[in-house]
Amino acid sequence: MRPIGFSTGAVAYSDFQRALELLAVERVNCIELSALRLHEVGPLLNAIGTLDLHRYKYVSFHAPSRFSGEEEPPLVEQLKRVPREWPIVLHPDVIHSSAIWRQFGPQLAIENMDRRKSWGRTLEELTKTFDELPDATMCFDIGHARQCDTSMTEAYRILKSFQHRLKQIHVSEVNTASRHDPVSYAAKIAFQEVAYLIPSNVPVIIESRVNQAEIGREICRVTEALPDHSWLPLLANA
Amino acid sequence: MKQLDIGLTLVADSPIDKLSTRVGAKWENLRAARERAVEKRRVLQADLSEFENADSSIIVYGSLGRDEFTLGSDLDWTLLVDGIADPAHLEVALAIKDKLEELGHKAPGREGVFGSLAFSHELIHQIGGQDDTNANTTRRILLLLESTVIGKRDAHKRVLSSVLHRYLKEDRGLWHGSTQFRVPRFLLNDIARYWRTMAVDFAAKQRARGNEGFAMRNIKLRMSRKLIFISGLLACFSCHLDVDESEKQKIFPAIAVQPLVEHLYRRLKLTPLESLADTLLRFEGLDTWSAQLFKAYDDFLGILADESILRNGKTQRVHLERLSVDELDADPIFQRTREISHRFRDAVNEIFLRSSTELSRLTIEYGVF
Repeated sequence: MRPIGFSTGAVAYSDFQRALELLAVERVNCIELSALRLHEVGPLLNAIGTLDLHRYKYVSFHAPSRFSGEEEPPLVEQLKRVPREWPIVLHPDVIHSSAIWRQFGPQLAIENMDRRKSWGRTLEELTKTFDELPDATMCFDIGHARQCDTSMTEAYRILKSFQHRLKQIHVSEVNTASRHDPVSYAAKIAFQEVAYLIPSNVPVIIESRVNQAEIGREICRVTEALPDHSWLPLLANA
Repeated sequence: MKQLDIGLTLVADSPIDKLSTRVGAKWENLRAARERAVEKRRVLQADLSEFENADSSIIVYGSLGRDEFTLGSDLDWTLLVDGIADPAHLEVALAIKDKLEELGHKAPGREGVFGSLAFSHELIHQIGGQDDTNANTTRRILLLLESTVIGKRDAHKRVLSSVLHRYLKEDRGLWHGSTQFRVPRFLLNDIARYWRTMAVDFAAKQRARGNEGFAMRNIKLRMSRKLIFISGLLACFSCHLDVDESEKQKIFPAIAVQPLVEHLYRRLKLTPLESLADTLLRFEGLDTWSAQLFKAYDDFLGILADESILRNGKTQRVHLERLSVDELDADPIFQRTREISHRFRDAVNEIFLRSSTELSRLTIEYGVF
């Protein structure tokens, strides 16, 4: 079974402590600590040493999704406090200066974006970003990719080209308003079509906004949506 | 949005140029038409930029989509919507129509297939069955075979990929069939159906319009409409001809639809003439016929593009558009177009039916029965 877990922002909006409490009783072994808003970064970094994360074999940190050019250098300074073994997920459309992000090397995981965004949605756009950040890894958001192209052809192209960069997967159903909903039947059958391109050891982070009662059911849905195809190594390397 | 591929420059290594170099020919009318199309799209992109939207694409078809644009060409367009339903979409389409009229562009044909809105749901969901109207089939097949985008491509790309996904995923024979060829029959049958529909509609228009415009429609059916069908056949054949064996071994056992969608999407970005040239480049033994085919098409475009005025005060194009059926037999211009179409037909028949190549084998296997 794939390593699987949640983004803290998905189970408790803007409240990582509460999210960790809710997830403590669930069958998850991965976690993404979310600081999507700039003001959330400091408190989360300050709390890292106090958080009980021993049950998670994979932890990542989601950087803010909006900041100005002036705010970028101090943010980068702050993010240096993220443990080196934790990937830092970053949206490519918010980057003002690639140069100052380059220092993170493979710790920086660039995420493909949804339709609302002006950049980072397609293979061509991501290729340009990776040209600027050649050592960066990738957080593949399969929900974003489906929202951009329901035939999953863009997802296929991105996965085929950047499979070697894959650090983690974001999963949810991204609706027309670009909100992260639970995975529907339609999304599930779409995700299944490209699941074979996702190596079975890549952590899956669920971003579906769910309440406590829905956490277990969402894990089951995501597990069905991304079946483990490790028995298809030839194809996975296509 | 940063546009990465807007198709507003001439392709430097066009398959048509490569073929012309190989056969030692110059097809100046093809080149001129391509340059005019690129320039026209560039102008339109500037003129229509205020209508750009990630949920819709302004699609152009016909000679402008095929890079066969002449000064007398009309402008077939639709506003393709792939997003949340919005009453304002119609207002946008009407504003585009007004803008194009204001800029002096020739309006689309009178059937009402173009010049307004088209919706992704109809194109994707209504393939075959009673709801697949003549207009819907036309929009869908021409979206595949001769469309190009003015401005943002997002909606166009999404819809095209989804339509292809349906044709491929639902083609059970493609994935489970025992034939040695890997040709998507569902798609091919729809393209063949459209070709026959065009031929039947030719007769219907002849009746409905009392033979008005017969000469021009006749030559277009023999040349450009047939070319569209050929390019559709070639796109389908390319799944067999252009995908190498090792890729097929990965794709077909796993029913991996997306690699084939991607392949066809790339293939369909070629214009029909580029697609034909790209295929013929693989068959050097057919160069004599390839040269004849392209020369005939070049001559055809030469007549349509000729701006010189005849003694009757018309261009050759206008002369053909207004020629009555009673005058056809004695009319030297129409007779010349017939002669051109016969050269085109003979080359097509040699290449696709009598050449004893894989191309003719595929045509007989899939194009007839």
